[in-house]
Amino acid sequence: MHSTTDHGHHTGLQYQPGLPLPNGKLFLWLFLSTEIMFFSGLIGAYIVLRFGAADWPLTHDVHLVELWGAINTAVLICSSITVVLALEAARRDNTSAAKGWILLTFVLGCAFLGVKSYEYSQKFAHQLYPALPHSQMYEKADVNYAAAVRLRLAQLQLDVSNWEKEAAGLEQASPKDAAAESRIAQLKQQVSDAKSVLNPLQQELTKAEVTMRENPDSPEGRILMLQLADHIYPRAKMHQHHAESAPAESAPAEEHPAKAAAATSGPQLTLVQHETAAAESHVAGGEHLEGLNDKYPWLKLPIMIPGGNLWASTYFLVTGFHAIHVIVGLIAFALLMPKTLGIAKAGLIENIGLYWHFVDLVWIFLFPLLYLF
Amino acid sequence: MATESNFEESPAVPVTHGHPEGAHHPPGGVTIYVMVAVALVFLTSLSYATHLPIWNTLVGDNIAVKRTWMMAVSCTKAMLVILFFMHLKWEANWKWIVTVPASMMSILLMLALVPDIGRRMYHASHERMIYAAEVPPGEPMPGTGLRPPRHQMGQPQLHGPSEPPLSPNNGE
Repeated sequence: MHSTTDHGHHTGLQYQPGLPLPNGKLFLWLFLSTEIMFFSGLIGAYIVLRFGAADWPLTHDVHLVELWGAINTAVLICSSITVVLALEAARRDNTSAAKGWILLTFVLGCAFLGVKSYEYSQKFAHQLYPALPHSQMYEKADVNYAAAVRLRLAQLQLDVSNWEKEAAGLEQASPKDAAAESRIAQLKQQVSDAKSVLNPLQQELTKAEVTMRENPDSPEGRILMLQLADHIYPRAKMHQHHAESAPAESAPAEEHPAKAAAATSGPQLTLVQHETAAAESHVAGGEHLEGLNDKYPWLKLPIMIPGGNLWASTYFLVTGFHAIHVIVGLIAFALLMPKTLGIAKAGLIENIGLYWHFVDLVWIFLFPLLYLF
Repeated sequence: MATESNFEESPAVPVTHGHPEGAHHPPGGVTIYVMVAVALVFLTSLSYATHLPIWNTLVGDNIAVKRTWMMAVSCTKAMLVILFFMHLKWEANWKWIVTVPASMMSILLMLALVPDIGRRMYHASHERMIYAAEVPPGEPMPGTGLRPPRHQMGQPQLHGPSEPPLSPNNGE
């Protein structure tokens, strides 16, 4: 260290960096420290919002499957080790091995995104969206929910009456060919199928709404509305809890389960007595229950999930930002692959690897928080 | 590994100028990486085990125990990744400056959200209560200190309205 510097005499000067590490790595670590705060903001907001929420859906009620999350965790762990193996190979100047490991990392990252997009599509298929206009989630079975169901039923009834009109028009046309006949038959079948589903629903809804209006102080109308919501979109939270508590206490009184449950758990519990035995058996396997929306996908009725909107906002925000980070990592790997990954590129591989490990790190916390809590 | 003797934490590590990578070759090697990866997968399965029936028979059904366990497992996994995959075990003292303040800030940020956001249901306005989620009757009440103890349909609430307006028309 030649610190003695005479003016006009530079031969003894030697550059001494502030920290014993390359600049690229230092700045990548500084970037990662900002990323720590970025994700802790998101994850912290999720934790605080969730544990302060009035209610929160069970994972199965929002079509989260733990196994997919666990598989994705394993995929990211594997991609982390392939990155360090690529770095090791590059340091030994084994370019082909390094390239192979980077390619494998890229494939594993794509597999993670594939599983993630499949999971997203499962949510979207069940009307679980983070925002309007697609989201049809209601927080409770109240008058607002009833109005939303009524609106959707009116839309469907309009479709039915349009089919009826079309069939009537075709029937009035005097020369009828085979195509028109089959179209009429098809329309009539559609109309009768739709009516067999819509009319009981309409009756159930009207009964609940009238009860709510005429007897606002009694919980009866709300219980009817809750039953309707449960037919449309049964939630494991309700059925599981009931399956656990009621049969254990009232096994001998099987002939009067409603009475037994009412006696043991209070009068408000009578609302779940109508649930089908078939639905109960599904709960044990932890699967989602089949409701009217699953049985008739064209219904697309609004659904009631207490806490569901906040869940959707936080879930899609947190996993979406993580997925963006995965995509950025994949772009980096794609840019890396055409290069000769020898010892000269070891620093670059190390820096991209650090970023990739951080993405893995975030998922390590997201998996239990989102899927298992 | 050419410079295996230099992996000890020491600010006086000689820097090979013009060839920066030369300074910090971790002594890890492939064996240790594979061992860490196996440990990570094993730890993931330990987290997943809280959702298997065997956990309830062996440990019990306490959700707080499960959550503490899962967070402990996650922190262990994070430490393994940071120490071995990100080579922080073999870095010099600068690592503390970069990581520790950010981690402390992240915890502080979360705690700072608690009074206004976490405990928002304790002092909810009328408008919020109209559209807020309600625990339907007969369902388990979620239990944390961040929620008011009673917030169930048909029951009087401490700070919110007891009944939402029956229909939009009746409100006027």
